[in-house]
Amino acid sequence: MVSDSKEKLLIDVGSTYFKVSTAATIEQHLRDFNKDILDDLRSKCGEIISRFEKDDVHICSSANGGLSTLIIGVTNSFSLKYATNIAFNSGINIIDTILYQDIEVYSLPSDLIDVVIIVGGVDTHAELFSEGLYNYLAQLNYSNLVFAGSAQDAAQIEENLENVVVLPNIVDDRLHIVEEHLKDYLTNLYQQDIEGKEDIKHLYDITANQIFSTPYIVNRALPMIAARFSVANPFILLDIGGATTDIHYSKDLVDDNIVTENEYDRLVFKRLGVYKSKQSLILAAQDNEFVYELLMHLKVTENIFEEQSEKATKILMQLAIFLVLCKISHYKKTYINLKLLAINSIVLTGGITKVLTVEEIEMIIAFFYKKILTSDHNPVTILDSNYDIWTLGAMGNQSCQ
Amino acid sequence: MKVVTGVVGNDIHVVANRLIDLSLQARGYEVFNLGVNTHLEEFFDAAVETGAEVLMISSLNGEAEGWGREVKLLKAKYKNLDDLIMMIGGNLVVGSGNTEDIVARYKKYGFDLVCHQVDLNTGLDLLQDLLEERCKS
Ligand code: B12
Repeated sequence: MVSDSKEKLLIDVGSTYFKVSTAATIEQHLRDFNKDILDDLRSKCGEIISRFEKDDVHICSSANGGLSTLIIGVTNSFSLKYATNIAFNSGINIIDTILYQDIEVYSLPSDLIDVVIIVGGVDTHAELFSEGLYNYLAQLNYSNLVFAGSAQDAAQIEENLENVVVLPNIVDDRLHIVEEHLKDYLTNLYQQDIEGKEDIKHLYDITANQIFSTPYIVNRALPMIAARFSVANPFILLDIGGATTDIHYSKDLVDDNIVTENEYDRLVFKRLGVYKSKQSLILAAQDNEFVYELLMHLKVTENIFEEQSEKATKILMQLAIFLVLCKISHYKKTYINLKLLAINSIVLTGGITKVLTVEEIEMIIAFFYKKILTSDHNPVTILDSNYDIWTLGAMGNQSCQ
Repeated sequence: MKVVTGVVGNDIHVVANRLIDLSLQARGYEVFNLGVNTHLEEFFDAAVETGAEVLMISSLNGEAEGWGREVKLLKAKYKNLDDLIMMIGGNLVVGSGNTEDIVARYKKYGFDLVCHQVDLNTGLDLLQDLLEERCKS
């Protein structure tokens, strides 16, 4: 598997922790936010880092929690559906989708959107967009704009919208999806977003290799997961971190998936982390009618949200598991509805594995299945407490470079 | 001239659909074939994405009868489909029925051309006539 037997140093920079792994050891450290990441790493693991040459150091990061997108398309069955799927598979958070013909009735999201995607039409069709689009975008706060609709409209779009990136159409002449261009663009944007952070740039002082996003690395590990765990397919993998929660799932858990390249898809919930995005996690929890029952089940009250304790962190992590499961079930369907009754294993990775025991997680999963899906279904819970999945992905990745 | 075609509902009779695709192409139309098992919304959506002038729906197992009632309601939600020519053919009822009644019913549903158990070429000639007529006026 690994082409070069020379020992590697693998580093993962999260929003809350960083992990440093060698063939013999794996260490996890809480980040010091008063320090630059590189300084922090050097002060905590200087000795290890100094043992490796730049070529042998591989770094990934999820420190900034992914990108957000708003998609504007002309129909639900084709352009919007295709772009939504592509964005999901690039690990991007979808803030909203807009059906162009009704664009005037949509409210403007107040947040800064990382990338707005405009799609619609086959290449033989033209003039799908007009003033309505330009007016809407003029009021919107965004960082990147990409057009991947009818080639005939590209010139007009470029004329009216500054700094728009034009890509080949995601809808082909037979109304089928063409995913690669938009997917590459979004994946690169995510990549650039990570690399563009000043902090991350400094990490190139210790590595000669490209710094990847952590979800990308984890996703790569999934086909190989059986090498380390006895995971029964189909499975979902939850990576609950400080700022975001990532879900990776086998394709056969969705009916309506049209993107064919990978065996596994992934979803990112940007504001469902237990540390940096703790406040929005609590808000999401308070919004869920079952949460009070769950808190009672866990023998605590709402006051726990105010607390700063180990117990409070545990409860927040348990809530995060519950909320994520709700989000991918029919109960709080976001964009994808996974067939949760068909799942045989739930794998958990990330900081959560250091805090919760298998029993504490199973309790939540059982509660979820009972209350939300009214079922006694009981998938096996597997804890990746030694970051094996991440190591697998990082090793697999560097062997392909 | 662009045409969107397909078989509506959970209907898997594919032979006519293939013939329609070929015949339309032979007559010089640009065809977007959605195939069997196509939902009504997908037909309209395809017309929006392609800018098709004609929607040609087939129903062989007769289930169009159930879908027909939804056509006007659904089409009304679209802002740019007023000029779309709507055509339907195949076996338009389950069992048998009086052709005149069937045609009248489907016209009420919003179809411009209704070809219940009409041979394909005859149907395509009717379309040609209608297009020429529209062109003149
Ligand atoms: C082959 C066939 C099947 C095959 C289909 C294989 C396949 N994948 O295509 C199988 C065995 C799977 C099948 C299944 C069923 N079938 Co079947 N099937 C037939 C059969 C024998 C031939 C159809 C065919 O291919 N004809 C050849 C093509 C070229 O002709 P056509 O389809 O009639 O189309 C012509 C015209 O109608 C016209 N046309 C079609 N669409 C349009 C559109 C426009 C705009 C125009 C102008 C013209 C037009 O153009 C074509 C050429 O002229 C017909 C009976 C028959 N002899 O027609 C029954 C028939 C269509 N089936 C029927 C039924 C009921 C079924 C089933 C429900 C049976 C069941 N109980 O399971 C299922 C339905 C499955 C489903 N979900 O759709 C009925 C429909 C009755 C009705 N509408 O009242 C028929 C008519 C048999 C009967 N007499 O009862 N079937």
